[in-house]
Amino acid sequence: MENIIELKDIHVSFEGEVILDHFNLNIKDKEFVTFLGPSGCGKTTTLRTIAGFIQPSQGKVLFEGKDITALPPHKRQVNTVFQRYALFPHYNVYDNIAFGLRISKTDEKEIAERVSEMLKLVNLKGFEKRNVTSLSGGQQQRVAIARALINNPKVLLLDEPLGALDLKLRKGMQTELKRIQRQMGITFIYVTHDQEEALTMSDTVVVMKDGLIQQIGTPEDIYNEPRNPFVADFIGESNIIEGLMLRDLLVKFEGVEFPCVDKGFGENKPVDVVVRPEDIEITEPKEGMLCGTVESVTFKGVHYEMMVRSENYLWKIHSITYKEIGTRVAMEIIPEYIHIMAKEV
Amino acid sequence: MKKWFQRSYMGLVFLFLYLPIAYLVLFSFNSGKSKVIFSGFTLKNYADLFTDQQIMQALLNTLIIAGISSIVSTIIGTMAAMGIQRLRKWQRNAVMNVTYIPVLNPDIITGISMMLFFSALGISLGFGTVLLAHITFNIPYVILAVMPKLRQVDYSAYEAAEDLGASPALAFRKALLPQIMPGVISGFLMALTLSVDDFVVTFFLRGVEVETLATVIYTTTKTRISLSMNALCGVMVVVVLIILILANLPQKQQKPKKEERI
Repeated sequence: MENIIELKDIHVSFEGEVILDHFNLNIKDKEFVTFLGPSGCGKTTTLRTIAGFIQPSQGKVLFEGKDITALPPHKRQVNTVFQRYALFPHYNVYDNIAFGLRISKTDEKEIAERVSEMLKLVNLKGFEKRNVTSLSGGQQQRVAIARALINNPKVLLLDEPLGALDLKLRKGMQTELKRIQRQMGITFIYVTHDQEEALTMSDTVVVMKDGLIQQIGTPEDIYNEPRNPFVADFIGESNIIEGLMLRDLLVKFEGVEFPCVDKGFGENKPVDVVVRPEDIEITEPKEGMLCGTVESVTFKGVHYEMMVRSENYLWKIHSITYKEIGTRVAMEIIPEYIHIMAKEV
Repeated sequence: MKKWFQRSYMGLVFLFLYLPIAYLVLFSFNSGKSKVIFSGFTLKNYADLFTDQQIMQALLNTLIIAGISSIVSTIIGTMAAMGIQRLRKWQRNAVMNVTYIPVLNPDIITGISMMLFFSALGISLGFGTVLLAHITFNIPYVILAVMPKLRQVDYSAYEAAEDLGASPALAFRKALLPQIMPGVISGFLMALTLSVDDFVVTFFLRGVEVETLATVIYTTTKTRISLSMNALCGVMVVVVLIILILANLPQKQQKPKKEERI
C-alpha cells in the first residue's frame, strides 16, 4: 500500500513551547488511522499541520509524494470535520453541505444531486431546509461530515468529532463512521483521547505522548503487545509490575516464577510485566502460587472488579467469581497472558 | 391605585421627553408667524424650507458627511474590532479602554482639540476636516457595536470555510461577515445618526463656509425667527425615527426559533 501522507522531521512550537519535534509519520492510503493520546500530546497539532492551519517551522508535509508544506488550507485536497462541528449558522443544512461545491463554482444541478447523495450517506434525508442551529448534536455532526465529504477529499481529518455527544450516540456514530469510511474508500485520520473509540474503529492506531509517537500498530497489537508502560496503561486497564527475566520463556515477579511466551531479553534482566485485569484467574491458594488478600470488590455488571494485595503490588482483577473482602486468594496467569516489556532506558 | 400611579408616572416621563418635540413639530404647521399662537394649518413652512438655498446646501453637506463618514468608520471600525478581538487579554483591555475615551470625552473637548491639532498642522478648516473629525469620533462607536458580535462568533466556521476551498478573503465574506452583520449594521446606523446629530464638533471644525443642518439651525435661531426652522426640526425628527426603527428591525428577526427534534 502506498503512503498518501508523509510527515518528515516536523517541528512545531507555540510561544516557545515545543509541541512537535523531529516528528515523522507515514499514513497509508485508504486506512482508518487514529491519533490517540492524552490532551496536550500533540495529536490535534499534527492534524492541523496536515490540514494546513499550522505551518511547521521545520520539516515537510508530503501528499501523494508531493511537497504541500507551503500550501494554504484552501488549496489542499483534505477536508476536516471539526470538534465543535463549525457549521455556518446563517445557512440551512442544504447550503452548509453545498458550500464546498459552490466555492468551486459547480453547476447547481450537480450540486443538488451531490447534496442529496451526501444526505443519504449520513442518513439525513429530508433535512435540506432545516436550520442547522435547530439540529441535535448528532445531527449537526452528520451535516459536518457530509459537508466535508462532498468535495471528494482523498483524506478526511476528524478532530475528536464525537467528543460532545453522549455515550450512546457516540457508539452509534462510531459504527457509522466506519461504514462511511469503507463506503467512500478514502483515508480517515481520526483524533481522539478515548482509547475504546480508537480500538473500535481504527486500522492503525498511533499512540502519542508529549509530542512523541509511543507506538504504531493495529488495535490488537497495541492492546496485546504494548511497547512501554505508558501504552499499556493508557490502552485499557493493566497491571504493570517489575519483574526479572530469568531466561527465555521464564519470568519471575513477586517471588514467583511464571512460564511465558516472550524471549530474547537475555538472562537475569529486569523487565516490566503487563497483565490485563481480565487475564488473571482467581483460585484456592496453594504452596508456591502468587497469593494475596482481597482489599475491595466492586460490582461492574459483567464482572466484579477486585483489588488484591500481594507482597509488593496491588492487583486489579476482573473476575466473575465473587470473593469477600479479606479472603486469601491465589492468582493464576497462563503464559500467553503475560506480556514482557524491556525496561525503558 | 398603585397601577394608576405607575402609569401616570410613565406618562409624565414621556410627556416631558416628547412634549417639547411635539410642540415644535406642531408649530411647523402654523400658518401665522407666531411660535405661541396657532392660527391655522399650512405646509408653507415646509415649502419654504425646501426652496431655501442655504438650508438645502446644508442638508446636502449633512447627508454627504454622514454618508461618507459612517461608511468609512464602519469599515475601519469593523477591521479594528477584529484586530482587537485577536489580541491577548491585557492588550485587548488596554486598547478597549483607549477606545472608550473618545466616547466618554465631552464633544467640546474633541472639537477644540481637533481644531487646534489641524491648525497646528497647518490644515485649513473646512469640509475635509469636518469629514475627518466625523470619521474619527464614529470609529469607537462602531468598534463597540461590533465587538460583542465578534465575541459570539464561531471562528472555526471561518477555518471550515477555508478548509472547504475558500480563500481567506472569501472565507471572511461567507463565514464570518454574515455572523457579525447585525453588529456592523447597528454600528453603521449609530455612526449615521451621530454624524447627522453632531453640532459641537462640526461647529469647531467647519471653518467659515461649511454649514450642516445643525449649524444652520444654530445660526438661524440666533439671528432670525422662522417657522421653517420648526419644519426642519420636524424633518430631522422623522429621519432619525426612521433610522432608529431600521436599527431595531434586525434584532426582532434574530429571536431564536423553537428547537425542533425528531
